[in-house]
Amino acid sequence: MKTRRPVAGTLAVAGYVVMLVPILFVVATAFTSERTLRFPPQGFSLRWFEAALGYDPFIGALVSSLQLALVATVLALLVGVPATLAIHRGRLPGKGLVEALFLSPLIVPELVVGLALYQQLVIGFRLDSFPVLLIGHTVLMLPYAVRVTGASLALADPALEEAARGLGASPVRAFFTVTLPLLRPGIFSAALLSFVTSFNNVPLSLLLQSRDFRTLPVTMLDYVQQSYDPMVAAMATLILAGTVVIAVIAERTVGFAKIFGGINR
Amino acid sequence: MSTAAEFVAVSQVFGDFTAVDSIDLAIAEGKLTTLLGPSGCGKTTSLRMLAGYSAPTSGTIRIAGVDSTRTPPEKRGLGMVFQSYALFPHLSVAENVGYGLKLRGVEPTERRRRVMETLDLVGLAHLAASKPKKLSGGQQQRVALARAIAIRPTLLLLDEPLSNLDARLRVQMRAEIRRIQGETGLTVVLVTHDQDEALEMSDDMVLMRAGRIMQQGSPQQVFPNPANRFVADFLGYENFVTAADGTLLAVRPEHVAVSPADGAGGAAHDCLQLAGVVTDVAYRGVDLLVTVQARDATGAEVRLLSDVRSTGSETVAIGDRVTVTAPVSRLVALAD
Repeated sequence: MKTRRPVAGTLAVAGYVVMLVPILFVVATAFTSERTLRFPPQGFSLRWFEAALGYDPFIGALVSSLQLALVATVLALLVGVPATLAIHRGRLPGKGLVEALFLSPLIVPELVVGLALYQQLVIGFRLDSFPVLLIGHTVLMLPYAVRVTGASLALADPALEEAARGLGASPVRAFFTVTLPLLRPGIFSAALLSFVTSFNNVPLSLLLQSRDFRTLPVTMLDYVQQSYDPMVAAMATLILAGTVVIAVIAERTVGFAKIFGGINR
Repeated sequence: MSTAAEFVAVSQVFGDFTAVDSIDLAIAEGKLTTLLGPSGCGKTTSLRMLAGYSAPTSGTIRIAGVDSTRTPPEKRGLGMVFQSYALFPHLSVAENVGYGLKLRGVEPTERRRRVMETLDLVGLAHLAASKPKKLSGGQQQRVALARAIAIRPTLLLLDEPLSNLDARLRVQMRAEIRRIQGETGLTVVLVTHDQDEALEMSDDMVLMRAGRIMQQGSPQQVFPNPANRFVADFLGYENFVTAADGTLLAVRPEHVAVSPADGAGGAAHDCLQLAGVVTDVAYRGVDLLVTVQARDATGAEVRLLSDVRSTGSETVAIGDRVTVTAPVSRLVALAD
């Protein structure tokens, strides 16, 4: 492909190479039949996938991660969607400030948030790590809930709700029969983004973990520090596969342009 | 003639902007009333207050004799067609039209019958299963109309319903809306900024400016007798001259004739005659448009526009000295 911008083109290619090649290395080494993480892999086998799926700490952590991501996603939507409605449609004073507050977790370093939660809730209130992680992850996802649903709300004609009212719908009825169905794609993509963000999160999960509750990325990090065998590559490959499936669903149902257009609006 | 809706001293103030300034207005039952005026005149605000989408700052709105000033829109039983049509994109045409009936608890078979009956009225029964996005602008407009009519509203409100259609379709839809109004006997309130639309469609027209009503009456009453300069201007009078006694006179371009200055055989007593210089000539096939710079009785410079049928052999050119003539019977004295 010829490009009229050789520098930008080269940088883009370099960017893809830097991002994708290490991932290919990980995926390739996951299929090795050897006992060490080495490239190029020797032989082909699925033994490390078998080992990963049979390794209790990984599976336990996977279940924890899924639980956390799922519940935090639901919570983030329950807080974020009404907040979005209030910001876009309500008569809220200082809307900009409220919106900025909901978006701030994108900017505030996660380690700071994690440390604050650790100090206040784990040490101060002696809460278990699950509820604290839940709070942390929920806060982390609020920007997605607010931005992405906000984008689909901004696209919806405000006259639609008025039309429903005029035809006899109470405000609540109009919301559930017209506004909510229109927001569905936005809410769906916000949920997917939130879920992936929570599932892949390391800083918060690392700071707020406990012996009883540890997420998968943290467990894997822990594992790599002790032993360097291809099982961790196999687990990483499985996560990658799961994330790709979610991304494909998101692309098919809503489209990336809409999802990320929503964030960069 | 009974009154379907009534505004009594209704005002709407947004901050320091008075959108509607204490208007009194009676809307006749079974008639088509247009609210006509330029943008910002308060016509849409008035319609939205009637529909219940915004509450007046002061005053009373009565619908069918009942004070409805604070009644929420869902309790007013009015049908509204929005400028954007506001069709529910996730519902089919039939579901859109049936939405209000469903909320009223009309059972499914009866609902289906009434949906199809209403779609028949607007000629779209064959598109009942389509999604609104698949429809053309004109078809979407009809669906919006059907959705509003299906609930058998006490009033049908139309907010610039034709402004998003192309010129030909717009003219077609004027007749279509009149037909539907005739067949259903509905009281219709239509907001528009297009004087041709208002003249053609209205039983009663209400001219608004800066939140006030400038004149109200049938097209036959209003058009030949504009009450003031604003109405005359808005209805295309174009020519304004001040008489010797200070009265402001208006005359339409089609009643103004232009003749060579030297050929005039003395001032006729039943005509207004002014001398001037041609500044522009535009041949438009059927008619000829001539702009003349003249002085009126007070000595003030006036620009006069003549728009008369062309014979094809006129020789008038820019710079010619001419006499502009308008019959006294065609002059309208304006209040201001």
